[in-house]
Amino acid sequence: MRFLGFLTRRIVGIAAVMIGVSIITFAISHVIPADPVAAALGDHATDQQIAAFRADYRLDRPLPEQYLTYVVGLAHGDLGRSIRTRRPVSDDLFDSFPATIELSLAALLVAIVVGIPAGVWSAVFRGRLPDHLVRLLSLIGGSVPVFWLGLIVIGVFYYQLGWLPGGARIDNFVAPPPTRTGLYVVDSLLAGDLEALRSSLLHLVLPALTLGYFSTAVIARMTRSSMLEVLGQDYMRTARAKGLQERLVVLRHGLRNALIPTVTILGLTFGSLLSGAVLTETIFSWPGLGRYATAAAIALDFPAVLGVTLLAAIVYPLANLVVDIAYFWLDPRTQRG
Amino acid sequence: MFRSLRHTSIIFAVGLLVAAACSPATTPGASASASPAASPSAGGAASTLVIDRDLSDLISFDPAVLYEFSAVFATHNVYETLVKFEGTDLTTPKPSLATSWDIKDAGSNWDITFKLKSGVKFASGNPLTADDVVYSVQRAIKLNKSPAFLFTDIAGLKAESIKATDPSTVVVTMPKTSSTQTFLVILTFTIGGVVDSKEVKAKETGGDFGSAYLLDHSAGSGPFAVDHWTKNTEVLLKANPNFGGTKAALSAVLFKHVPEPANQQFALEKGDIDIANDLGSEQIAALQGKAGVTTTSASSLLLVYVGMNALVKPLDNVKVREALRTAVDYDGIVKDLLKGNGKKVQGIVPAGLAGYNESTPFQADVAKAKALLQEAGQASITLDFLVPTGGAPGGAAWSDIAAKLKSDWAKIGVTVNIKQTTTADLLATYRAQKGQLVMINWGPDYPDPGANVNPFTDYKAKSIAYRNGWDDPIATKAHDAELISDPAKRVAAYKEITDYVLHNGPYVVLYQPNELFGLRSNVKGFNWSSIGWAELASVTK
Repeated sequence: MRFLGFLTRRIVGIAAVMIGVSIITFAISHVIPADPVAAALGDHATDQQIAAFRADYRLDRPLPEQYLTYVVGLAHGDLGRSIRTRRPVSDDLFDSFPATIELSLAALLVAIVVGIPAGVWSAVFRGRLPDHLVRLLSLIGGSVPVFWLGLIVIGVFYYQLGWLPGGARIDNFVAPPPTRTGLYVVDSLLAGDLEALRSSLLHLVLPALTLGYFSTAVIARMTRSSMLEVLGQDYMRTARAKGLQERLVVLRHGLRNALIPTVTILGLTFGSLLSGAVLTETIFSWPGLGRYATAAAIALDFPAVLGVTLLAAIVYPLANLVVDIAYFWLDPRTQRG
Repeated sequence: MFRSLRHTSIIFAVGLLVAAACSPATTPGASASASPAASPSAGGAASTLVIDRDLSDLISFDPAVLYEFSAVFATHNVYETLVKFEGTDLTTPKPSLATSWDIKDAGSNWDITFKLKSGVKFASGNPLTADDVVYSVQRAIKLNKSPAFLFTDIAGLKAESIKATDPSTVVVTMPKTSSTQTFLVILTFTIGGVVDSKEVKAKETGGDFGSAYLLDHSAGSGPFAVDHWTKNTEVLLKANPNFGGTKAALSAVLFKHVPEPANQQFALEKGDIDIANDLGSEQIAALQGKAGVTTTSASSLLLVYVGMNALVKPLDNVKVREALRTAVDYDGIVKDLLKGNGKKVQGIVPAGLAGYNESTPFQADVAKAKALLQEAGQASITLDFLVPTGGAPGGAAWSDIAAKLKSDWAKIGVTVNIKQTTTADLLATYRAQKGQLVMINWGPDYPDPGANVNPFTDYKAKSIAYRNGWDDPIATKAHDAELISDPAKRVAAYKEITDYVLHNGPYVVLYQPNELFGLRSNVKGFNWSSIGWAELASVTK
């Protein structure tokens, strides 16, 4: 019951956030002194063409009416039509979001698989070479701009060494797998298409490493500091006194307790990965939400910008909801009423 | 409870995967393809030309709807037109689907009779007849999308202006207020593409003239057909087996959406692509001397210019405007900033079009410019200078060109305050006549001098002359010139007009940029037309 009440409160919270975000984004996008229609139709458009376009997109209506129309459409699952692509925004998001999810999940996987063990390793060997190494790499990861790192890894691993593809989701001459989830790796597996699987996995490596490096650094540092705190606790001494192997002491008693703050960071990290994807996707020609958002912003495509913003407004709280649910699992104290 | 929640979550996740596995799958682009298994590899890498290009402007492949650069390039190779330009010549339309045409004075109208080539088939196998031509023109007019003004406003056509008198004859009735020469030129453009009326009518939904279908499919008779368009990713054209002309050597052309020039350069050097379409001068310089790669450039029809608002004092004084033109170091811009990727052009018609005026009388003459300002009674002038952000055509940054102009004008006592803004914001100010000095570029809507001379001279058209507050009687002469049917007399009339605008208009035309391409060395026959396309059927690799 307590969980259901918690879930209800969070869903109501998400709805409130979405309404707030829609009002703010709508207001901002309509008060800036630039005409999206002129941007869409270009230098040659006549006044008549501009007027027709404005009428078509109802941009000639009063602002409150435009917002009301937008919200009514939203309630029916209609995010409006993109000024740039002239397609329903929901179709555009449906096309581009899976690519971003795939990239962000891969980056998150990198962050978890590399960051947590690195943090544990660093804490266990505190003040020694492994610790210094992890801290140095974390410092670099936290400081290096994503766009610079992206260009460097493309330059080295694609251009110079030729080990990995430098962009796009799949090779030019490999057919993408039939769409089921939109995640090429998953779809390739479901279709049993090993060639597409191989190609899409290889194409994921460089962008996922680039996008995930910063998160890996943050998670490694967070895990290190919480592990250091946990390693000094009484129950750890007790576990050792019981004669447990050091590996079990660290992983079973130490890591599980140290993971709670790391999980909090993971939720926030997933959100930041989505926003970090804007640069990574641009550098790696990755046809995801970030690149769509960039193109929409440059073209003053407000319906598309609103759509992306709302999607982000859902994803962030959802990621945090997943984190909160993970708390229940990780920390039994939170389950008690 | 939460242990059970965990189990429930796992079951839910597995359920989702199973549901996804059981759901009907769709291959990206399969909707446009007869076979869901169709892929870029269908034609084989050896005979598929891969072009990296920024495809973010794509909206549709429907010739009655599209008006974007990428779509124009691709679709030109998919649909045939009644008449066409051959090679780089943009002055004389040649026969294509029409073997001949006859222009008759019918009193208050012109009647143009087109005789169609026999035996032409669409990609579907349907024969191409006069009914298809009539349907194509009428649907463009009725749909009234972006390019429709070329038929309705420029050529003065209505849906009933075109009819088929027999299966191989089409008659177009045009008002005498429009130019038959201009109409022929418009017919060479993608809006003149003839669609397979039987196929398109079968795909019509809700009175859309099949535009939803033609958005990512094709129904043409050209050397290629649209196989699929995966949004934000790629477009695949496949050779049309029913094409009646010389068959394409390539089995397919794959356009990849790669907007970043540096990525295009890398992919070209690695041999992953055959042509890089959006290179800047920096990438071209980096490619010099690299094995397996060549570079080429082709003239565009763009003009980069500065508009001087004649509603703003002292720009209303023709001598001040002439002084600003006279002070600019055009050669320096072309040589140093563009690295030669442009041509010094100072008239309002670009090289390559009929009516191009070769006269370039201005070149950094500080003494003469100062004298002109003195004659105008202006010793010191300060003006706002609106400049777009990003790169200008030809490979230099807009800001660098602006800085150069600021320095040139400072030498004659003219101070400009550079204000850099997005093109959208700049256009909003410019359209409202609120700019003082505004730097931007212009490309003609169709390859005819009228497409430049009219907007640059006609205040009432509310285009460039309006934006610069220049209402001059020369506009009447410009309209008269457009209606001249004798090509030589027409060119002579345009020479007189462009000479007048050169010294009296509110423009500093800076240069005509080149477009830059990187190609693998084995790619042959790639000839870029300044109108914005290449004949891909003649390309080999």
